[in-house]
Order: sequence, then C-alpha cells, then structure tokens
Amino acid sequence: MSREILLEAQHLTKEFPVKSAMGVKKKSRVHAVSDVSLAIYKGETLGLVGESGCGKSTLGRVLIRLIEPTSGKLFFEGQSIENLKEKDMRAVRRKVQMIFQDPYSSLDPRMKVRDLIAEPLETHHVYHGREETTRRVQELMDLVGIRPELIDRYPHQFSGGQRQRIGIARALALKPELIICDEPVSALDVSIQSQILNLLKDLQQEMNLTYLFISHDLSVVHYIADRICVMFLGKICEIGDTDVVYERPLHPYTKFLLSAIPKTDPDQPMESKELLPGELPSPVDPPAGCRFHTRCPYADETCRTREPEGRMLDGRQVFCHHPLR
Amino acid sequence: MSLLEIKNLETSFFTHEGVVRAVDDVTIVIDENERVGIVGESGCGKSMTAMSLMGLIKKPGRVVSGSITFNGKDMLAVSQREKSKILGNEISMIFQEPMTSLNPVITVGKQVKEAITFHQKDISAEEAKRRVIQLFEEVGIPDAAKRYSAYPHQLSGGLRQRVMIAMAMACRPKLLIADEPTTALDVTIEAQILQLMKKLQDETGMSVMMITHNLGVVAQFCTRMYVMYAGRIMESGTVSEVFKNIAHPYTDGLMRSIPKLESRERLYNIKGLVPNMLDLPKGCRFCQRCEYSKARCFEEEPELTETAPGHFVRCFLYTDRADQEGKSACPENGGSAACSPNTQAEGGTGR
Repeated sequence: MSREILLEAQHLTKEFPVKSAMGVKKKSRVHAVSDVSLAIYKGETLGLVGESGCGKSTLGRVLIRLIEPTSGKLFFEGQSIENLKEKDMRAVRRKVQMIFQDPYSSLDPRMKVRDLIAEPLETHHVYHGREETTRRVQELMDLVGIRPELIDRYPHQFSGGQRQRIGIARALALKPELIICDEPVSALDVSIQSQILNLLKDLQQEMNLTYLFISHDLSVVHYIADRICVMFLGKICEIGDTDVVYERPLHPYTKFLLSAIPKTDPDQPMESKELLPGELPSPVDPPAGCRFHTRCPYADETCRTREPEGRMLDGRQVFCHHPLR
Repeated sequence: MSLLEIKNLETSFFTHEGVVRAVDDVTIVIDENERVGIVGESGCGKSMTAMSLMGLIKKPGRVVSGSITFNGKDMLAVSQREKSKILGNEISMIFQEPMTSLNPVITVGKQVKEAITFHQKDISAEEAKRRVIQLFEEVGIPDAAKRYSAYPHQLSGGLRQRVMIAMAMACRPKLLIADEPTTALDVTIEAQILQLMKKLQDETGMSVMMITHNLGVVAQFCTRMYVMYAGRIMESGTVSEVFKNIAHPYTDGLMRSIPKLESRERLYNIKGLVPNMLDLPKGCRFCQRCEYSKARCFEEEPELTETAPGHFVRCFLYTDRADQEGKSACPENGGSAACSPNTQAEGGTGR
C-alpha cells in the first residue's frame, strides 16, 4: 500500500461553548475533540470507533472544516487548509464528500432522485446541459445499484437501503478522493447493512477511494477498515492496523470495547466476561489526567494526574500509562 | 404447564390500501423460567406479536384470530379490569427508547413507586419508597436513594434503561417482555444491561421474551428462539441447536450477513428486499430472495417441519426430506441446509 498522506490533522481541538437556558454564555465548554493528531493515507479505510458522545462525528466534520476547529493544523494533499478562505475551500470540498447515517432525513423529500444526484454536479458547475447531466446521473445510479429508470422517483418511494445508495451516488458524483462515512449502516437492517458494506468496498476498489469510516459497531469497522482509531471522550486511545489492534489491544478501553460485543456464539457465554464498569464521564468537565481513568480498573495515581502521551508499541500508537501486556 | 401460549395468532391492519397481516398464524410458547428470543428484521411482526399480547394494538389494526393464554387465562377474552391487574403486574414490558417511555416531568422514583402502589393498594407510602430504593439498588443504580428524586433527563441512557427495568421488576412479574432493550445503548452499556437482565431472571425465575434484531444478543441471552420473516415464524428451536444446525435459508443468510471478528471474508448478501406486506408472494414468503427456491416454492407455502427434536423449519428443503424418510431427524453432518439432498446436488450451501 502506498503511504501517501491524503489528510492530516495536527493537535486538532474543538470546544463548544455551553449556553445556559437563557442564552447567556457560561464559561464552561464541551471538549468534543482534544488535541487529536492523525493521518489518513491515500486509498485506505480508516475506521473511527467509540461510544456515543466520544467526539467521533465531530472529529469527522472538523477534519473537513464543516465545523471550524478551535485550534490545530489541517493538511489536505499536503496543502494547509485550516486558514483557507471559503472560496478556495470549494476546490477542496469537491474532493471530499460525506455519507450520512440516516437516509430518511438526509435526502430532501421534495426532490426527485434526478435532482438529488445532480445537485452536487450543479453546485460545482461540472456539466453543462440537461442531457449530459442526466447521462451522468444514470451512470451513477447504475454504479450504486439502482435501476436508472427510477430517475424520476422521490425518496419516499425507496426503501432505507436504496435511499442510502442514493446518498452514496450523491457523494460519488464529483469523483471525490475522500469520503467521510458517518455511521452509514447503523440505521439499516442486517441484510441491507451487508449489501451497503459490500457496495462501499467494491466502489473503493473501482475508484481508488479513501474512506474515513465512523461507526460505533466494532464488527462493522473490523470488516471494512484497514486501520482503526479508537476514541474516548475526545481523545485517541489507540490507533493502528485493524488486525494488530483487534488481535492484541494494548489500551484497556479497546479491550473492554471488544469484549462487550455480543458474539453470535452461544458457547461463549457473557457471564464469564469482565465488563467495563460505569458510564461515560461528562465532556464538559472531563477527568484530569487520563480521561479514561474513572472507568479503568488498572488506573493508579499517575493516570489520575498526568495525561498519557502517545507512544509506538507493537506496531500501533497507544495513549496509556500502563498498556496491557 | 407453559406460562404463555400464543396460538395461530393473526393480527391485521385494515388500511386504505388493503389488509396488512403483520402477524400471520404465529404460534409461540414460553415456559416458566425461560428466556426466549424473537428475532427478525424491521417489519417482520416481532413487536406486533408482543403488542397483541399486551392488548396494545390500535386501530386500524386488531387481533383477527388465534388465542393467547397466559397462566391459564385467555388474554383475548379477559375484561379490561382483569387485564389491568395482569399487565404491569404479572406481565411487564421494557422498550427500546427509555427516554420516551418515561414521563419527563415526574421524578423516576415516583414513577416506579406508582407501578407498585397501583397493584398493591395496601402498601404504605414509606414502604413503597423503600421498595423503590431497594429495586434501584438491585438494578445497579448508584446512589439509589439520591436518584429517587432525579428526573429522567438527569440520567444517562443506561441509567434510564435501568430505571425502566426497575419499574418492570417492581411487581415481580412472571413474564418480562423486552422489546429491543439494548438497541439504543452503547456496546459497553448493552453488555451491562444484558448481564443485569440475566442476573434478575436467574434470581426471580421469571420468563423473558426478548425481541431483537441482533443475533448476538440472542446467542448470549436466550435459551430458545423464534425467527420471524414477513409476519411468519420461519424457524424455531433451542439457541444451541439453531446456531449449530441453521436450517432455514433466511436464518442462514442473516447469519452470514453479519460481520464477525473472526474473519474478513466477503459478507453474504441476501438478494432483493423484504416483500411488500400488501402484496406478499403466493408461495413461501422468502421465495423471491432464496438461493434454493424451486417452482414449488412460488406456488405453495411450506408448513413448519420438525428437523430435529424441538427444531422447526418452514421450508420445502425439509418437508420433502421428512416425507421421504418418515419424519426422521436431521443427519449428523449437521451443517445448515446441507441436510437436504436437493442442496447437496446443487453443491452444498455455498458457504
């Protein structure tokens, strides 16, 4: 695999101000993404996993400046983009597209499939004339597995899986380099989920796409991602090749996440499992030191006071004072 | 004696476009002290089966035929008064979204207390409160006494689901119906809740009907299972038997569609979509999506056939075999549809 970096983030941070009920700004802030550095290589799928509220969706959006970062540096194809003007950012946006979780609310119910898929083409003035556009729309429909005859239908006439295909066609319309997939299969039934996952894999092969695949489902990420980044409360816990991390997780949080998945094997009962106690701490007032220490059974004084630095260990980067051995 | 017997239940919705048979000839039996899973994808009728039992089907739907017997009582014939004595007391239910099932303007303690005082009129207020706090401790809510006066929005999703479980357990039900209780929760919390439910079931000896789309939850939690598709039961049996000898092509397809940590082999795709409930295929409901379907599958619908003791399958691959061999059990080779001579001729199950 080529190791050309497509998108890189350095010390990326996003904090949201907390407003009280009367709209008066309070001093507290939600630390959604804190000091995250990562690189996405060309042609790979980077899986971003974590529980709800860990900041994974925010990170996905901050990476492409759909949400402006509070601080940090961003590079796309080697070019610094965190200070680009909106006009210059358009050229970047053309190369970065997004697929959303809920195919019911992410498509305008009053637009036909034709217009939905042509919208990005028109926004970026790619094709001229209705015929050329229609041809491209039909080509895209065919590519994602929707019969081109259905071009004049509305979203409500399609099932959830087909709507997600329409969403994918929209994302592909501009022949992007990078697609941010934000929980693209979470709202779908099992049998439809596998269809979409296979479609995403095939498209990646055909078009040499790069994916950032955000999901809370570790089995899905294992299936689709080459590398995986585990997040907890706005911070990276562990990042590395999927096989390496899944086979022998070094961060306690990764280990607990993996063991919590209900396995489809009745012979592996869950009573024997060691479960992660407690719940997610508040991102408004994150714990000092390692953010995971309140739930971590291995935490000691160091973890409570000092934040762990990232270090390379057994082929992956891990942020923990006492990595598992 | 079985605790719950749903027999040949049919629940239909009479819509402008036609009649939707959401539950069609469904028979489910749950014994005492049993954890039974009802699995299927959205729209297969699994929740509607539970709603029929609870008497919660609203117009334009109604239970058309069949019988529901709980603890010797005919649930479809009992008076409203009688029913309100049973529901929430002997049968209770927990739902997927704990936020929408709790009243946002009443403290959680008071809501759980209501469940107790409604069914036990003679209990004193202090006694009821003590019971609630005890229940909160049982379901693992930290600072139980303090949380008594918390409002639902002050609790996390996991804690809210624990409150729902406390409410459901308040009157020590004989049957707990759990409709996707962990679907809205994170994996680590899901595991906690499943473990809690198993512990409570173990201690009280109640039965649990677990409605879910997640085969992993069934494998981990249940002892027996029913697989539903388009309103019908397609396969049933003990969890260990069904997972070891998957028989129905639909169950098999579902299993192979799930990404597993052990392998990264290309996922199987069940072709096509769930049929429109207004326009069901004439024969087997799965025929259009099935790899093994033959002309007969499009013409008539198979009956449930016993392939091994207690393992029932609705598929011609097995009825044919049973006819030939006089209803003998499945051979030892054990592997899914491979039991059938028909599929062996076609080159196995395609795994």
